[in-house]
Amino acid sequence: MASFILRRAEPKDVSDILRLIKELAKFEEMEEKVILTEKELLEDGFGDHPFYHCLVAEVPKEQKLFILLKFNSRCSLPGYTVIGFAMYYFTYDPWIGKLLYLEDFFIMQEFRGLGIGSDILKRLSETAVKTRCSSMHFIVAENNTKSIEFYKRRGAADLSSEEGWRLFEIEKADLLKMTSK
Amino acid sequence: MDFSIRAANVEDCKDIARMIMELAEYEKMADHVKVTQRDLEQDGFSKNPFFHGIIAEVPEQHKTKEGHTKIGYALYFYSYSSFKGRAIYMEDLYVMPEFRGKGIGKALMSKVAQLGLAAGCNQLSFTVLDRNKSSLEFYLSQGCFDITANMGYHCMRCEGEALEHLAQP
Repeated sequence: MASFILRRAEPKDVSDILRLIKELAKFEEMEEKVILTEKELLEDGFGDHPFYHCLVAEVPKEQKLFILLKFNSRCSLPGYTVIGFAMYYFTYDPWIGKLLYLEDFFIMQEFRGLGIGSDILKRLSETAVKTRCSSMHFIVAENNTKSIEFYKRRGAADLSSEEGWRLFEIEKADLLKMTSK
Repeated sequence: MDFSIRAANVEDCKDIARMIMELAEYEKMADHVKVTQRDLEQDGFSKNPFFHGIIAEVPEQHKTKEGHTKIGYALYFYSYSSFKGRAIYMEDLYVMPEFRGKGIGKALMSKVAQLGLAAGCNQLSFTVLDRNKSSLEFYLSQGCFDITANMGYHCMRCEGEALEHLAQP
């Protein structure tokens, strides 16, 4: 059975975190939308008031080789041992209080099906329960049926379908227009 | 009508709690509200707040028949986009019915946008119920982009027993 560790991200992990963010974006066909830099990840995640928290999944170098051989897969990035991550932060719902918001959650393809994703989700849920969060929230693309099933199997509810909530965004250029009126 | 927008302080929690309930009733979800005035005081005004608030106030001569001068609010917090970095999330935006149509909602939202830009945010996000047609129209007229309709992103939640179960070894 594959061995892996889950640990809190450290400043040295920012380059792996950005690599995995881009891999997830590529999977969602939105790679060109990632404008975040390593410098910003460092400032925003490891300063006095972090905007986010991160868990990383790491496999030992030898184990990585064993997994790749066993599953007969090729890894285009042979030097890396950080093979998955979850980025989250705390939010607030004025009806029910503190929430844990899961912003990104990704395991490299070669390392799926080994229980790493389930373990990350378990660790996040423990964090949520320990910090007295009522709920864990996240978004999923509706065409990502595999992920939706993964979450629904674990008791997640689809608030968009069930309660009619729609997510809106305003980009920086429009924010500037709004504030200059 | 004359009105002012300012940062909320701990003394505003009573009015914020009142207006949270009014907004929940408007969304026909009043039975979902569990947060109390005391929770708001602890969670919004301690050393590491989980949210921030801004209040819209009118002068005494325009107060409601119950005597309220605090007639609108917005709750927000800082979030993070793995694509764009720092972001601001507007959790609630509410103006009491008799004070709508006077630019107060726009002013509250503009203030949240200003605060976000000042903190280096690249994006403002929020959610709207699809049956809330007048709010949907207002936001679309402000240049907002419906991520759910246009990109198929669904908001998901794992709570209560499901969350506890997920946390089990």
